[in-house]
Amino acid sequence: MTVRADPQMLLQLQDIRTYFPTQDGIVKAVDGVSLSIRHGETLGVVGESGCGKSITALSIMRLIERPGRVVSGSIRLGDRDLLTLSDDEMRDVRGKTIAMIFQEPMTSLNPVFTCGSQIAEAVALHEGVSGRQAAARAVEMLAQVGIPDPKRRADEYPHQLSGGMRQRVMIAMALSANPELLIADEPTTALDVTIQAQILELMKALRERNRMAIMLITHDLGVIAEMADDVVVMYAGKVVETSDVITVFEQPHHPYSKGLLASIPRLGQKRHRLEVIKGVVPNPLNLPTGCLFKRRCPYAMPVCDTPPPFQQVSSGHVSRCWLTPEGGPPAVGEAPSREVAEEAAAALSVAQ
Amino acid sequence: MEGAQSRPIPVLSESGVDEVDLTPVRTYWQLVRQRFVRHRLAVIAFFLLSFLVIASIAIPFLTGNAWAKTDLTLINKPPSLIAPFGYDHLGTNTFARLMKGLQTSLFIGLSAVTVIVVIGITVGSIAGFFGGWVDNALMRFVDIVLSIPTFFLIVMLVAFWGTGNVWVIIIAIGLTGWTTAARLVRAEFLSLREADFVQAARALGASDRRIVVRHMIPSALAPVVVAATLGIADSVVVEASLSFLGFGINPPEASLGNMLTGAQDFFYRNPLLAWYPGVTLVLVVLAASFLGDGLRDALDPRQRVEV
Repeated sequence: MTVRADPQMLLQLQDIRTYFPTQDGIVKAVDGVSLSIRHGETLGVVGESGCGKSITALSIMRLIERPGRVVSGSIRLGDRDLLTLSDDEMRDVRGKTIAMIFQEPMTSLNPVFTCGSQIAEAVALHEGVSGRQAAARAVEMLAQVGIPDPKRRADEYPHQLSGGMRQRVMIAMALSANPELLIADEPTTALDVTIQAQILELMKALRERNRMAIMLITHDLGVIAEMADDVVVMYAGKVVETSDVITVFEQPHHPYSKGLLASIPRLGQKRHRLEVIKGVVPNPLNLPTGCLFKRRCPYAMPVCDTPPPFQQVSSGHVSRCWLTPEGGPPAVGEAPSREVAEEAAAALSVAQ
Repeated sequence: MEGAQSRPIPVLSESGVDEVDLTPVRTYWQLVRQRFVRHRLAVIAFFLLSFLVIASIAIPFLTGNAWAKTDLTLINKPPSLIAPFGYDHLGTNTFARLMKGLQTSLFIGLSAVTVIVVIGITVGSIAGFFGGWVDNALMRFVDIVLSIPTFFLIVMLVAFWGTGNVWVIIIAIGLTGWTTAARLVRAEFLSLREADFVQAARALGASDRRIVVRHMIPSALAPVVVAATLGIADSVVVEASLSFLGFGINPPEASLGNMLTGAQDFFYRNPLLAWYPGVTLVLVVLAASFLGDGLRDALDPRQRVEV
């Protein structure tokens, strides 16, 4: 389980577990997530509400609120493990190397200061420049994110801007120190569709010009199709499938990914009801044994009572499911093989 | 990391914004001033209070010890050019004495409020920012302080530490008056701590101290400013009450309170001796309240300025 330092890799998460102790027991919001992001790549992270997408992002930023805690794993950025950095070192990483934007542009800006001064502050945080220079950079950043009449807008308060404008301001703040990775947590969810498209276009353009990587968290598969190079599908705090974006859309392997794709309505489709995935996300305090998805899974089989291991479906395509790469049930004698079962049992005991 | 720092920020020339005008923009405080000016009563209050402050400093400075000098030949003389309010029962220039008394009262009021605000913001922000048992311990302490009848505590403190001492009065008012400010700041901090923009500032690499000083205190400031200006009025009244009861500033030192005490014996012969310090007290309290009102509106960025 050692992580090889791959120079192509910007960020590598290895077996991250983020737990929240509550009065009723430990909530394993993120339970053994491993993923990696290459320089300049856009990684889409998809999943239902509560599957641990945002907690994974906050774990990377080390912004998990107490009493929550990243209990194990490693987050490699270059040759450093973010989880072992001091608070001061971590603060320097935030904003400068990894920046983050949030879902709610309406409330993510401080209502007491003008947009310009907030961007200027972000500039000043990481670069020792004078107030006047920072203010000038702020106007420049506003122009970069496509805000018309940036000088006037810099002088305005967040409440004077529309949601789309505010998200542009957030992006300007996040990009002010030219980070290598931008974590965007549902950046377009709160915006209407035309503005969504504009913001996504803007993020694409900035990605090309700044050569930065994006970790895009969303439940909107349309956004993923539009933006992502690689996709990570999460379910109940675990990664269930990873591959490049085309494979996920054309040959999804995990039944959960299939269900997500099937639930997208299509133009020209003559159907009265939308496809849904039956049931709800399991209660994080009372997770099923074995495969976490088995209660909702149309393919559920007896073997699913044992936690499924990751299997290589094809090159670069990994899925946490007992189904064979062809999609059929595993042969009776074959599965679970002794090693696989032991490995799975070991993973389970670590989880508990 | 070094590479990331030196990479230039590329400009999107395709976005059609090639030239960027870099002249500085209006600041927060310029906007605050514009909003304040629209509040007419507050502006009047501001000038009245400034006038009282300047007069209370300048007139005792210019007239030397006229406020303390007694002259038996001038007892209860009517107003004249050098004594616009006449002379009191000891033959002292009432106007000069009133200004000196106002000076003492305002000094005590402003200093006590400074103590109140400093303690209040410190306690309130620590409690609100850290939460948990820290918050619990500090707020229960606030409850204890609040449960004590303030005025009697002040009287006791002053009696214990020495009556007639300006600093003792300031500390006594400050030590008993900070609870409201602390509660206001704490309440603001509790909601601000969860605010998305605080989380966003963290994600941009802001330190705890920076978040508190730059993002949370300014947002929590508006109610504190209002409480502080009202606190000036309160403190002036408390000082006057203490002096009136003989626990505060004692003659020959002058304060609005002890001038009222002195005047009560002569209320039927020369009621104006009570009116002068009384009306001055009312003016100070009113002006401070209106000023607080105006500042509350001015400091609220949600108020628009039509320019």
